[in-house]
Amino acid sequence: MYSKFELCGSMCKKPLLLLFFIIPQYLWGQAWLVKDTLFASGDSVVVTATRSERKLSNLTVPVTLINAQTIQQTGSIRLTDILKEQTGLTMTSGFGAGVQLQGLNPDYTIILINGEPLVGRTAGVLDLNRIALGNIKKIEIVKGPSSSLYGSEAMAGVINIITDASNKIPLTASLRMGTYNTNDINVNNTLSSKTIMYQGFYNYYTTDGYSIRPNSNNRITTPINRLTTSQQFKWNLNSNASILLNTRLTDETIKSNIAVSNGGVTINSNGNEHNTDVNLSATLNYRFTPNLKTSFRSYLTNYISKQDLLTISGAPYNDLLNHLFKRVENQTDWALRKNINGIFGMGAVWEGVKSSRYDSEKLRKENAVQYGFTQLEWTASDKFIIIGGIRFDKNATYASAWSPKLSMLYKLNASHKIRLSIGQGFKAPDFRQLYLNFTNAAAGNYSVFGSAQAQKVIGQLSSLGQIGSLYNNYYLLKALQPESSTGMHLSWEWTPTSKTFISTQLFRNDITNLIEVQQVGTYKTGAQIFSYLNIGRAFTQGAELEFRQSLSNRITLSGGYQYLITGDKDQIAEIKAGKVYTRNASGISTRLTMSDYVGLPNVSKHKVQFKINYSNQKGVFANFRVIYRSKWAVNNTNGNEVYDNGDDFANSYYSLHSSLGKEYKNGITIQVGADNINNYIDAIHLPNLAGRTYFINLKYQLKNKP
Amino acid sequence: MKKQLLKISFVCLAAIQIMACSKSETITTPVVTVSTKLVKDLIADTVLGLTANGMPYSAGKYTFYSLENNAIVPTTDSASAKWDLAFMSTRIITNGGTSGPALGGAFIYTGLFDDLKTIPADSIFKTDNAPTYAITSGSGRGWYTYDQLTSLITPLAGRVLVIRTASGKYAKLEITSYYKGGITLPVSASDVEKLTKQRYYNFKYTYQSNGSKVF
Repeated sequence: MYSKFELCGSMCKKPLLLLFFIIPQYLWGQAWLVKDTLFASGDSVVVTATRSERKLSNLTVPVTLINAQTIQQTGSIRLTDILKEQTGLTMTSGFGAGVQLQGLNPDYTIILINGEPLVGRTAGVLDLNRIALGNIKKIEIVKGPSSSLYGSEAMAGVINIITDASNKIPLTASLRMGTYNTNDINVNNTLSSKTIMYQGFYNYYTTDGYSIRPNSNNRITTPINRLTTSQQFKWNLNSNASILLNTRLTDETIKSNIAVSNGGVTINSNGNEHNTDVNLSATLNYRFTPNLKTSFRSYLTNYISKQDLLTISGAPYNDLLNHLFKRVENQTDWALRKNINGIFGMGAVWEGVKSSRYDSEKLRKENAVQYGFTQLEWTASDKFIIIGGIRFDKNATYASAWSPKLSMLYKLNASHKIRLSIGQGFKAPDFRQLYLNFTNAAAGNYSVFGSAQAQKVIGQLSSLGQIGSLYNNYYLLKALQPESSTGMHLSWEWTPTSKTFISTQLFRNDITNLIEVQQVGTYKTGAQIFSYLNIGRAFTQGAELEFRQSLSNRITLSGGYQYLITGDKDQIAEIKAGKVYTRNASGISTRLTMSDYVGLPNVSKHKVQFKINYSNQKGVFANFRVIYRSKWAVNNTNGNEVYDNGDDFANSYYSLHSSLGKEYKNGITIQVGADNINNYIDAIHLPNLAGRTYFINLKYQLKNKP
Repeated sequence: MKKQLLKISFVCLAAIQIMACSKSETITTPVVTVSTKLVKDLIADTVLGLTANGMPYSAGKYTFYSLENNAIVPTTDSASAKWDLAFMSTRIITNGGTSGPALGGAFIYTGLFDDLKTIPADSIFKTDNAPTYAITSGSGRGWYTYDQLTSLITPLAGRVLVIRTASGKYAKLEITSYYKGGITLPVSASDVEKLTKQRYYNFKYTYQSNGSKVF
């Protein structure tokens, strides 16, 4: 909870160990036969789940697929817009919009663009508003650490955003205008010959931001100007070899007017926050035989965030974060037998972070990881597919670790499928948890020190006579160990008719060695000092239910529900032993019982979404969506360290969304929409949810003459 | 068993105190040595205003209190054995050690107020030795937690302050709120409200006048 104040600079986790690779679907000369439909039917091809292209119906792990048409028809322009409508995903606020997957914090989900990880996290959160959706072909979501082949730190899952390299439309342009001057311009152009394909994408997003706090001039979301461009080249050298080059740049300027309140007085700081995110990748693919192919891939990404603010008293406040991440990787796919496919790969990651929130912004903190992975897929019969995989990470700072995974698919018959997957993952401490050296002068002068430096820094402060007292936790400080997790998913999919799809999923994730912020002492002034310790053991478990039902050719209903329970195992043991207390309404202590225990904060027990979709042959489309989230605990307010029913909750809420449009034969699409129609506002807990907003979108596609 | 129940039942001593007690708490028994009181809104160096820099300031003075008499003791008697506890913002001192001339001491018992029927024989009473106090100060260490995020001070649940009074008798005490009216402010309350309504102690205590450790 304190991390909210770290404003962390870098902190930022290390997407080390990430690795992953996607083979573009057309790469081996195979035609992309699958047409996107509203029904993510069994024919869709998915690349994220097995690190190579597979039909959705043959996957051994559950994958959620969001296609371009869905994105477009809901009027989504940023990644957050569409993720919040997915079963099992919840958007978090604070440090931008992050995603909570099956109750696990944003730290544990890797965000990939075309298989390459994005970096630049603040307090573990990667702001998903950074990602424009204008050129996206589809989004694949793999839940659970069964996806550990992408990087063992993906303990919650992987979200892979795949851009539309196969798009043959020469020019697409769109302009969207909306409430709060939220405007979005997209231009997408492609050029292709027999051997060379090029796609360029340009997006400009601007918003005035908005204020939904009553009687306040403070904007919840401040004015933003954001430019995104990506360029993709593909060169088919011959029928067996191709080269792929990708670049992506996001550059955003956020006008900051930060109001920090301290002891009843608000201090305003004005200035700009400027963030730049650069991604470069180059890939060489080569096919030796139809059964043996390999690819070499190199990737570099650099995220630079600068805040230059002037407080009202004229004092400058500057903050810098520079995260550089490099990776090289090779992956070989080898069909050993007709029914056995093998994947073998290895790679190396180097990364470094410079931050003004570390002891010196000039010194780069570094880490390096080498890894290898393998995966065997055995198609035992038409009905049974089993995949075993393992990954080995050799970390420069931590002990080497193995992450195994096993998943299987059993098709009972044409309409029933059962999937089971079990996987392990681990997440090494990030730079912030090791090196943070941050004192928040704007809020009570408390300090947070990374665990690698806490004892040294506090020792120095102590010799200067600044330390008031040291807590027991101070003496427990030692080298942080990686967090580790085990996840299990069992799902049952039923397609009784071609018009109906029902799926249920049970999941359980266990995490040990959780790294948490703990108070380790106080200054003489009474201000608190925090650091990071491995202390927790937590779990999340629950069930998901999803359905789609076509009522006619035109109308489809779909929806999802997630039931989620979470808990801290150490706390539960204490509660069961009768050692945890709470307070009743008159302030008298009572013993806490399990029935009042809530589990982890910021987690809702129930989440529902429902959608009605209409589309006809004449190009008319319309949809109506409802999202519901039950209450969630936000603050501990009743005198114990656990979250229980007596604490401070955010209220449950629902929001309604709708859009309506028509696609004309000449390539023009007109669309109007409204979000949060019921105008639900909770400025404190849902700062990213604006009040009711409207938009109009005009799009033009230059069609190729047949 | 019945005898013990009687012994620990809540009793009011004098007529004035009977008036201070609610009816439900008053059960008269032949042995009138134990009494339980509720104290409301005991002012403990409340915030007077904000400095030019926006920092809260106060008079910096303790409020002295006699558990035996259930009354505030004038500051002029601070060097006497007339008081048992003194309160200044989150700090609570006892009348002994570096804080006062008498026999006072204390320790913090983890558990429920009603469950503490006898002070365990092996309990160690600490005395104040500035800057360390018998009732430990600091968030999460003594009787309260301070949440940096919400700026709220919350008494820790399941903490009983076990007091040795100035005259060497015993009392147990549970703080129920640090805010005016005993109402814990909501997280959304304004900073000004959080500052001006704090430092009002609300607590419940049981005083054993016969010198025994049994309540």
